[in-house]
Amino acid sequence: MAYEPKEKNPPNWKGDFPIRQDEATHVTRREFAKFLCLLSGGLALGNGYVVLSSFAYPDKELEGEHLVCNTSEVPVGGMTMFAIKGTKEIPYILIHLAEGEWRAFEQKCTHLSCAVVYRDEVKKIECPCHNGWFSADTGEVLQGPPPRALPQLSVVVRNEKVYVTAFKDTIS
Amino acid sequence: MSSFRVTQNQSHPNKTNTLMLGIIMLLIGILSIQIWLLYSALNNALDENQDLAIAAFIGSLLLFFTGLWLLKYLPDARGRFLKKELSENKYK
Ligand code: FES
Repeated sequence: MAYEPKEKNPPNWKGDFPIRQDEATHVTRREFAKFLCLLSGGLALGNGYVVLSSFAYPDKELEGEHLVCNTSEVPVGGMTMFAIKGTKEIPYILIHLAEGEWRAFEQKCTHLSCAVVYRDEVKKIECPCHNGWFSADTGEVLQGPPPRALPQLSVVVRNEKVYVTAFKDTIS
Repeated sequence: MSSFRVTQNQSHPNKTNTLMLGIIMLLIGILSIQIWLLYSALNNALDENQDLAIAAFIGSLLLFFTGLWLLKYLPDARGRFLKKELSENKYK
Protein backbone atom coordinates (compact mmCIF):
# COMPACT_ATOMS: atom_id res chain seq x y z
CA MET A 1 0.00 0.00 0.00
CA ALA A 2 1.38 3.34 -0.96
CA TYR A 3 2.32 5.70 1.82
CA GLU A 4 0.05 8.69 2.07
CA PRO A 5 1.12 11.54 4.30
CA LYS A 6 -1.70 12.60 6.60
CA GLU A 7 -1.03 16.28 6.14
CA LYS A 8 -0.80 17.72 2.70
CA ASN A 9 1.57 20.49 3.75
CA PRO A 10 3.53 19.39 6.78
CA PRO A 11 5.53 22.08 8.61
CA ASN A 12 9.18 22.48 7.67
CA TRP A 13 10.55 20.61 10.63
CA LYS A 14 8.51 17.55 9.72
CA GLY A 15 9.87 17.75 6.24
CA ASP A 16 13.38 17.87 7.65
CA PHE A 17 12.94 14.72 9.68
CA PRO A 18 10.83 12.46 7.49
CA ILE A 19 9.85 8.98 8.52
CA ARG A 20 10.67 7.35 5.23
CA GLN A 21 14.21 6.88 4.04
CA ASP A 22 13.61 7.94 0.44
CA GLU A 23 12.11 11.22 1.54
CA ALA A 24 15.17 11.92 3.65
CA THR A 25 17.36 12.06 0.58
CA HIS A 26 15.60 15.19 -0.54
CA VAL A 27 16.33 17.18 2.56
CA THR A 28 19.86 16.25 3.43
CA ARG A 29 21.25 19.48 2.07
CA ARG A 30 18.97 21.46 4.35
CA GLU A 31 20.11 19.37 7.25
CA PHE A 32 23.70 19.70 6.16
CA ALA A 33 23.41 23.47 6.12
CA LYS A 34 21.88 23.41 9.59
CA PHE A 35 24.59 21.10 10.80
CA LEU A 36 27.25 23.48 9.46
CA CYS A 37 25.58 26.23 11.42
CA LEU A 38 25.58 24.08 14.54
CA LEU A 39 29.30 23.44 14.10
CA SER A 40 29.83 27.14 13.71
CA GLY A 41 28.06 27.71 17.02
CA GLY A 42 30.28 25.09 18.59
CA LEU A 43 33.39 26.83 17.35
CA ALA A 44 32.15 30.14 18.72
CA LEU A 45 31.57 28.44 22.08
CA GLY A 46 35.04 26.95 21.98
CA ASN A 47 36.46 30.37 21.36
CA GLY A 48 34.51 31.66 24.35
CA TYR A 49 35.96 28.87 26.43
CA VAL A 50 39.48 29.90 25.47
CA VAL A 51 38.75 33.43 26.68
CA LEU A 52 37.14 32.21 29.91
CA SER A 53 39.89 29.81 30.78
CA SER A 54 42.61 32.33 30.06
CA PHE A 55 40.93 34.74 32.48
CA ALA A 56 39.83 32.26 35.09
CA TYR A 57 43.12 30.40 35.38
CA PRO A 58 45.93 32.78 34.56
CA ASP A 59 49.33 31.15 34.75
CA LYS A 60 50.47 31.49 38.32
CA GLU A 61 53.96 32.68 39.01
CA LEU A 62 56.05 30.17 40.84
CA GLU A 63 56.35 31.19 44.46
CA GLY A 64 59.41 30.78 46.60
CA GLU A 65 62.46 28.68 45.97
CA HIS A 66 62.35 25.02 45.21
CA LEU A 67 65.16 22.62 45.83
CA VAL A 68 66.10 20.59 42.77
CA CYS A 69 69.24 18.65 43.64
CA ASN A 70 72.82 18.90 44.82
CA THR A 71 75.30 20.53 42.46
CA SER A 72 77.39 17.36 42.45
CA GLU A 73 74.55 15.38 40.92
CA VAL A 74 74.70 17.08 37.53
CA PRO A 75 78.09 17.26 35.81
CA VAL A 76 79.02 20.14 33.49
CA GLY A 77 77.22 19.56 30.22
CA GLY A 78 74.69 17.36 31.92
CA MET A 79 70.97 17.62 32.28
CA THR A 80 68.44 16.41 34.78
CA MET A 81 64.69 16.45 34.91
CA PHE A 82 62.52 17.58 37.77
CA ALA A 83 58.98 18.65 38.53
CA ILE A 84 57.60 21.05 41.07
CA LYS A 85 54.67 19.82 43.08
CA GLY A 86 51.67 22.01 42.69
CA THR A 87 48.21 22.12 41.24
CA LYS A 88 49.48 21.06 37.84
CA GLU A 89 52.76 19.35 37.58
CA ILE A 90 54.96 20.76 34.87
CA PRO A 91 58.09 18.88 33.90
CA TYR A 92 61.28 20.92 33.84
CA ILE A 93 64.84 20.32 32.79
CA LEU A 94 67.89 21.62 34.60
CA ILE A 95 71.00 22.13 32.50
CA HIS A 96 74.53 22.55 33.77
CA LEU A 97 75.77 24.71 30.89
CA ALA A 98 79.25 25.48 32.17
CA GLU A 99 81.01 25.70 35.52
CA GLY A 100 78.60 27.64 37.73
CA GLU A 101 76.17 28.27 34.84
CA TRP A 102 72.79 26.71 35.28
CA ARG A 103 69.59 26.97 33.31
CA ALA A 104 66.11 25.64 33.93
CA PHE A 105 63.41 25.38 31.27
CA GLU A 106 60.05 23.78 30.87
CA GLN A 107 60.47 20.45 29.21
CA LYS A 108 57.38 20.70 27.06
CA CYS A 109 58.13 21.84 23.54
CA THR A 110 56.02 24.86 22.64
CA HIS A 111 55.10 23.21 19.36
CA LEU A 112 53.23 20.03 20.28
CA SER A 113 54.47 19.38 23.80
CA CYS A 114 57.11 16.77 23.09
CA ALA A 115 59.84 16.43 25.71
CA VAL A 116 62.93 18.44 24.80
CA VAL A 117 66.48 17.33 25.63
CA TYR A 118 69.78 19.15 26.00
CA ARG A 119 72.45 18.23 23.46
CA ASP A 120 75.84 19.05 24.86
CA GLU A 121 77.68 18.42 21.57
CA VAL A 122 76.03 21.49 20.02
CA LYS A 123 75.12 23.28 23.26
CA LYS A 124 71.48 23.53 22.20
CA ILE A 125 68.16 22.09 23.28
CA GLU A 126 66.60 19.73 20.81
CA CYS A 127 63.04 18.67 20.30
CA PRO A 128 63.30 15.33 18.52
CA CYS A 129 59.71 15.25 17.33
CA HIS A 130 59.91 17.76 14.50
CA ASN A 131 63.55 18.80 14.63
CA GLY A 132 63.00 21.94 16.68
CA TRP A 133 65.99 23.63 18.31
CA PHE A 134 66.15 26.08 21.21
CA SER A 135 68.97 28.14 22.60
CA ALA A 136 70.26 26.54 25.79
CA ASP A 137 71.12 29.99 27.05
CA THR A 138 67.80 31.81 26.71
CA GLY A 139 65.34 29.18 25.55
CA GLU A 140 64.70 31.09 22.34
CA VAL A 141 63.71 29.21 19.21
CA LEU A 142 66.67 28.73 16.88
CA GLN A 143 65.10 26.53 14.25
CA GLY A 144 62.08 24.45 13.47
CA PRO A 145 58.33 24.64 14.02
CA PRO A 146 58.05 25.77 17.68
CA PRO A 147 56.30 29.15 17.75
CA ARG A 148 57.48 30.35 21.18
CA ALA A 149 60.53 30.23 23.39
CA LEU A 150 60.68 27.66 26.18
CA PRO A 151 59.42 29.10 29.48
CA GLN A 152 62.36 29.60 31.80
CA LEU A 153 63.04 29.48 35.55
CA SER A 154 65.80 31.25 37.39
CA VAL A 155 68.38 29.06 39.06
CA VAL A 156 70.04 29.89 42.36
CA VAL A 157 72.96 27.90 43.69
CA ARG A 158 73.55 28.08 47.41
CA ASN A 159 75.49 25.77 49.71
CA GLU A 160 76.11 23.22 46.96
CA LYS A 161 72.40 22.98 46.34
CA VAL A 162 70.45 24.04 43.27
CA TYR A 163 67.20 25.95 43.72
CA VAL A 164 64.80 27.35 41.13
CA THR A 165 62.58 30.41 41.40
CA ALA A 166 60.27 32.26 39.04
CA PHE A 167 62.19 33.73 36.15
CA LYS A 168 63.26 37.33 36.35
CA ASP A 169 65.01 39.10 33.52
CA THR A 170 67.79 40.33 35.76
CA ILE A 171 69.44 37.13 36.78
CA SER A 172 70.91 37.47 40.24
CA MET B 1 0.42 32.84 -3.65
CA SER B 2 0.78 35.14 -6.60
CA SER B 3 1.37 33.67 -10.01
CA PHE B 4 4.65 35.55 -10.12
CA ARG B 5 6.25 32.89 -7.89
CA VAL B 6 4.81 30.10 -9.96
CA THR B 7 6.18 31.39 -13.23
CA GLN B 8 9.48 32.16 -11.57
CA ASN B 9 9.74 28.63 -10.31
CA GLN B 10 8.74 27.17 -13.62
CA SER B 11 11.19 29.15 -15.68
CA HIS B 12 14.11 28.65 -13.28
CA PRO B 13 13.79 25.14 -11.97
CA ASN B 14 17.40 25.21 -10.81
CA LYS B 15 16.98 28.24 -8.63
CA THR B 16 16.69 26.50 -5.28
CA ASN B 17 19.61 24.30 -6.18
CA THR B 18 21.83 27.31 -6.77
CA LEU B 19 20.58 29.00 -3.63
CA MET B 20 21.30 25.93 -1.57
CA LEU B 21 24.78 25.62 -3.00
CA GLY B 22 25.48 29.28 -2.33
CA ILE B 23 24.33 29.05 1.29
CA ILE B 24 26.32 25.91 1.96
CA MET B 25 29.41 27.48 0.42
CA LEU B 26 29.01 30.58 2.56
CA LEU B 27 28.58 28.44 5.67
CA ILE B 28 31.70 26.46 4.85
CA GLY B 29 33.56 29.75 4.39
CA ILE B 30 32.31 30.96 7.78
CA LEU B 31 33.43 27.72 9.39
CA SER B 32 36.90 27.98 7.90
CA ILE B 33 37.34 31.49 9.23
CA GLN B 34 36.14 30.35 12.64
CA ILE B 35 38.61 27.47 12.72
CA TRP B 36 41.37 29.89 11.88
CA LEU B 37 40.18 32.28 14.61
CA LEU B 38 40.07 29.51 17.19
CA TYR B 39 43.54 28.39 16.21
CA SER B 40 45.04 31.84 16.57
CA ALA B 41 43.15 32.50 19.81
CA LEU B 42 44.52 29.30 21.33
CA ASN B 43 48.03 30.01 20.21
CA ASN B 44 47.96 33.56 21.49
CA ALA B 45 46.24 32.78 24.77
CA LEU B 46 49.12 30.41 25.47
CA ASP B 47 51.39 33.38 24.92
CA GLU B 48 49.28 35.40 27.39
CA ASN B 49 47.79 37.56 24.69
CA GLN B 50 44.20 37.66 25.94
CA ASP B 51 43.06 40.62 23.87
CA LEU B 52 43.34 38.58 20.74
CA ALA B 53 41.37 35.75 22.31
CA ILE B 54 38.52 38.16 23.10
CA ALA B 55 38.56 39.67 19.63
CA ALA B 56 38.54 36.21 18.09
CA PHE B 57 35.61 35.19 20.28
CA ILE B 58 33.54 38.22 19.28
CA GLY B 59 34.39 37.66 15.64
CA SER B 60 33.47 34.00 15.89
CA LEU B 61 30.16 34.82 17.55
CA LEU B 62 29.28 37.37 14.87
CA LEU B 63 30.09 34.82 12.19
CA PHE B 64 27.84 32.29 13.90
CA PHE B 65 24.95 34.74 13.91
CA THR B 66 25.58 35.45 10.25
CA GLY B 67 25.30 31.73 9.64
CA LEU B 68 22.04 31.56 11.59
CA TRP B 69 20.66 34.45 9.60
CA LEU B 70 21.64 32.73 6.37
CA LEU B 71 19.53 29.72 7.35
CA LYS B 72 16.49 31.94 6.93
CA TYR B 73 17.09 31.78 3.20
CA LEU B 74 17.23 28.01 2.98
CA PRO B 75 14.86 26.92 0.23
CA ASP B 76 11.86 24.89 1.33
CA ALA B 77 12.11 21.15 1.38
CA ARG B 78 11.03 19.19 -1.70
CA GLY B 79 9.87 22.28 -3.55
CA ARG B 80 6.64 22.21 -1.62
CA PHE B 81 5.29 25.39 -3.11
CA LEU B 82 6.15 24.33 -6.58
CA LYS B 83 4.26 21.05 -6.20
CA LYS B 84 1.32 22.68 -4.55
CA GLU B 85 0.97 25.33 -7.18
CA LEU B 86 1.35 22.89 -10.00
CA SER B 87 -1.44 20.72 -8.64
CA GLU B 88 -3.58 23.77 -8.18
CA ASN B 89 -2.98 24.70 -11.76
CA LYS B 90 -4.25 21.37 -12.93
CA TYR B 91 -7.81 22.36 -12.17
CA LYS B 92 -7.65 25.67 -13.87
S1 FES C 1 56.77 19.07 19.28
FE1 FES C 1 58.70 20.00 19.38
S2 FES C 1 59.09 20.50 17.36
FE2 FES C 1 57.12 19.63 17.23
